[in-house]
Amino acid sequence: MHEADIHDLSDDADYAASQQQGSRSISRCGSDKRSEPSGAEVVFLKENVAIHPTQYASERIRGRLRLIKQGACLFMTWIPYKEIGSGGGAFGHSDARLSDKDRNLYSIRAVPVTDIRSIRRHNPTLGWQYVIVVLSSGLAFPPLYFYNGGVREFLATLKQHAVLVRSADDANLFLLNDFQDPLQRSLSSLELPRAVSVAPTSTSESSSSSSVSSERPEDGRSYSEYQKHGQKSNDPARDLSIQVLEKFSLVTKFARETTSHIFREIHSDNLNTNDRKNQAPIVSNSNNDVDNSGLESASTESFVAADPIEKPSCRKDISAVKKLPLQWGVLSLFIFDKMTLVWGKPRQSPLGTEEWVTFLDAEGRILDSKDLRKRIFYGGVEHQLRKEIWKILLGYHDYDSTYAEREYLSSMKKVEYKALKRQWKSISVAQAKKFTKFRERKALIDKDVVRTDRSITFYDGDDNPNVMLLRDVLLTYSFYNFDLGYCQGMSDLLSPILFVMEDESEAFWCFVALMERLGPNFNRDQSGMHSQLFALSMLLELLDKPLHNYFKQKDCLNYFFCFRWVLIQFKREFHYEQIMRMWEVVWTHYLSEHLHLYACVAILKKHRKKIMGEEMDFDTLLKFINDLSGHIDLDAILRDAEALCVCAGENGAALIPPGTPPSLPLESNLLYSQQDEL
Amino acid sequence: MANSRNKNINAKLVLLGDVGAGKSSLVLRFVKGQFVDFQESTIGAAFFSQTLAVNDATIKFEIWDTAGQERYHSLAPMYYRGAAAAVVVYDTTNQASFACAKKWVTELQEQGNTNIVMALAGNKSDLLDSRKVTAEEAQVYAQENGLFFMETSAKTAQNVNEIFHEIAKRLPRAQPPQNPSGMVLMERPPVNGTSSSCCS
Ligand SMILES: Nc1nc2c(ncn2[C@@H]2O[C@H](COP(=O)(O)OP(=O)(O)OP(=O)(O)O)[C@@H](O)[C@H]2O)c(=O)[nH]1
Ligand SMILES: [Mg+2]
Repeated sequence: MHEADIHDLSDDADYAASQQQGSRSISRCGSDKRSEPSGAEVVFLKENVAIHPTQYASERIRGRLRLIKQGACLFMTWIPYKEIGSGGGAFGHSDARLSDKDRNLYSIRAVPVTDIRSIRRHNPTLGWQYVIVVLSSGLAFPPLYFYNGGVREFLATLKQHAVLVRSADDANLFLLNDFQDPLQRSLSSLELPRAVSVAPTSTSESSSSSSVSSERPEDGRSYSEYQKHGQKSNDPARDLSIQVLEKFSLVTKFARETTSHIFREIHSDNLNTNDRKNQAPIVSNSNNDVDNSGLESASTESFVAADPIEKPSCRKDISAVKKLPLQWGVLSLFIFDKMTLVWGKPRQSPLGTEEWVTFLDAEGRILDSKDLRKRIFYGGVEHQLRKEIWKILLGYHDYDSTYAEREYLSSMKKVEYKALKRQWKSISVAQAKKFTKFRERKALIDKDVVRTDRSITFYDGDDNPNVMLLRDVLLTYSFYNFDLGYCQGMSDLLSPILFVMEDESEAFWCFVALMERLGPNFNRDQSGMHSQLFALSMLLELLDKPLHNYFKQKDCLNYFFCFRWVLIQFKREFHYEQIMRMWEVVWTHYLSEHLHLYACVAILKKHRKKIMGEEMDFDTLLKFINDLSGHIDLDAILRDAEALCVCAGENGAALIPPGTPPSLPLESNLLYSQQDEL
Repeated sequence: MANSRNKNINAKLVLLGDVGAGKSSLVLRFVKGQFVDFQESTIGAAFFSQTLAVNDATIKFEIWDTAGQERYHSLAPMYYRGAAAAVVVYDTTNQASFACAKKWVTELQEQGNTNIVMALAGNKSDLLDSRKVTAEEAQVYAQENGLFFMETSAKTAQNVNEIFHEIAKRLPRAQPPQNPSGMVLMERPPVNGTSSSCCS
């Protein structure tokens, strides 16, 4: 993504502009020239610069970005607008749901520019330009989106007042306070930052320069405080860590307080182990954790590349990491380990009746659908509520419908269902003889319903009427959606729904709603599956590059071993009660519409060591994955999936092509499917 | 892969056939000695391995069990490509499944390995009362097409080990390296004309 195409600097308008304006003399904090009387001067101001704490548009926070010069010192501030009515600026319509606490959490109050290590500019093809500011402490601010443009001006102004150079390796990366010739440094000269691979041995009182806390100093505080930060020794780990840290700036709010804490620690570790030359290289013949029974003697090639996200057995794995491109590297290994301690919130107990009614108004409308979805995301719902709530989650009933409206709709739909069902019920034996498609479909459905969840009491035994209902609903669906018809896997999707609804028509309409999203899974050309498996491969590349590379090396990049997981949303992987839980969580679409893909990543990551250690090929991998069925810890996977989803943030979301199931299909889908290579 | 020093042979085997013909049941019987009355449909594919000793050699079957539905037909080449052996399964109580089996045979003859060892399994032979396909009919077809044929029952285990044994015996002893390129899902599965679309 950000691997530098080394641009010629001159072709970059932003940079050229900054070059021009920056040719004036530079004054820095540490240099004691008081070129101006005290009293702050705003040298740059941009309205409508926003952060996106979550992927939800409603949670975006707009604010005002300023560069303020006080004496010789330049500060950056970003203050979110206050809510309407409380004296906000011209754009004071930021979301009312955000608490002041949230706002304060994100406010950037007077960061001295000398504390900034780097700024990366991002120019997404769709959406706003944004920058990510990384402090020398390691703390990264969330991306700042320039709704009204102005990144170029911003950089130019900085250039004017501080030492800003473009990284030699990456045209979009601007280093601040870097007093060495950037061209002298190249990635190849970088060692891996050993410091960060060392587990946090003690809570050592680190030098004062590491004391960056998430609370920013208030405006007007004496800048002498910052002077000791002045010069940073040029850290070879720097470029690497910048990249990693930037990625971390994409974390969302609940992780943020923790990250700043973690970064602080890392930074202190960095300082404490500055003398890396004296340390023995980290040797790799102690890969105890790797089950290398199948491997030849400890050749370095056989080491399992470290999980950039999971626990650091990093001492052992570091050698493997060295072989990887310098990205997403060792730092994150360490950071993420810490994060998993707080990430993936503990699962809550399922939503019960008493609490459920608090989400409803007197007439049964859901007051805040997002709140409800969030609640269900973290705990699911108690079984007796599923009948009511699934209809809403699936989109059969609207969130803002009243009890009466829902009841009315259900009764209308019951009539409609009956009519649909009559379409095939009325086919006589004679007609059926001339209706091959019907006979085939019916035969196929008949074969499948008798082997769907027969171990569940609800479907067991001879001549179980529920099995007949399963068949009737599926056959009716194959008439309702004649083009799609019946396809193996559908009976798996319907079974829990019928079990929950205990009503033929209601089950049918819920199934219809589900198939609005999952129907493309069953396309003849496999396009729906292709796009999901493709998205999965992109996500794994982002979240576990070594594992992705491993699959690539093994020719497994089609991720076909995850076919069953994706096709029927893990139905075969969990026990009945668990799959109902999983589905209601997934159906909330709370963090993402594609939580199931993050769940795939989570499970693969969980077993990465075994997969790579045993050098699984496509066939053994498929067997291994099929055999995981019944042995997956749902809560753990949901937590991991949540954490991964949060961690991937917008980068992750951007990797999933629009219209990828279970997103609703794009209207233009058919047009695109011709050219689409996925 | 093929290591013929001690005549240890790895052989990739694929099971093809109509929905519900009993492919998974046959493999489960062969590999685990089990039978389930309501064996779930296969989603995607499943992989098993089982080793057999035949005369002087040990044969390790790497078995791919595929999904029967025509909708997933486009994925089948991924599994039969490079296969040394194939078991084409039909349900003796279901005439349509026999027609489907024939189509699989044709497809394998056209697109499978040239030396592929093919077996035709008429499964569910225990269901005597509902038989629809006679053994004679199938035997004639098999002979005409150079496959060997057995009626099997995954339920009673009749002929299950036997059919795999027979395949093992017929495998050429020097195996060409198998499926060296692994599984590559084609970007655009070849459009198999309606002729090959069988099994609803
Ligand atoms: N009586 C009897 N039933 C069998 C036999 N083999 C399979 N069955 C039953 O037939 C049904 C289908 O068997 P499967 O093994 O799942 O068939 P399959 O070919 O794998 O089907 P797909 O995976 O859908 O392609 C199951 O209910 C089995 O219990 C047999 O030899 N005798
Ligand atoms: Mg099967």
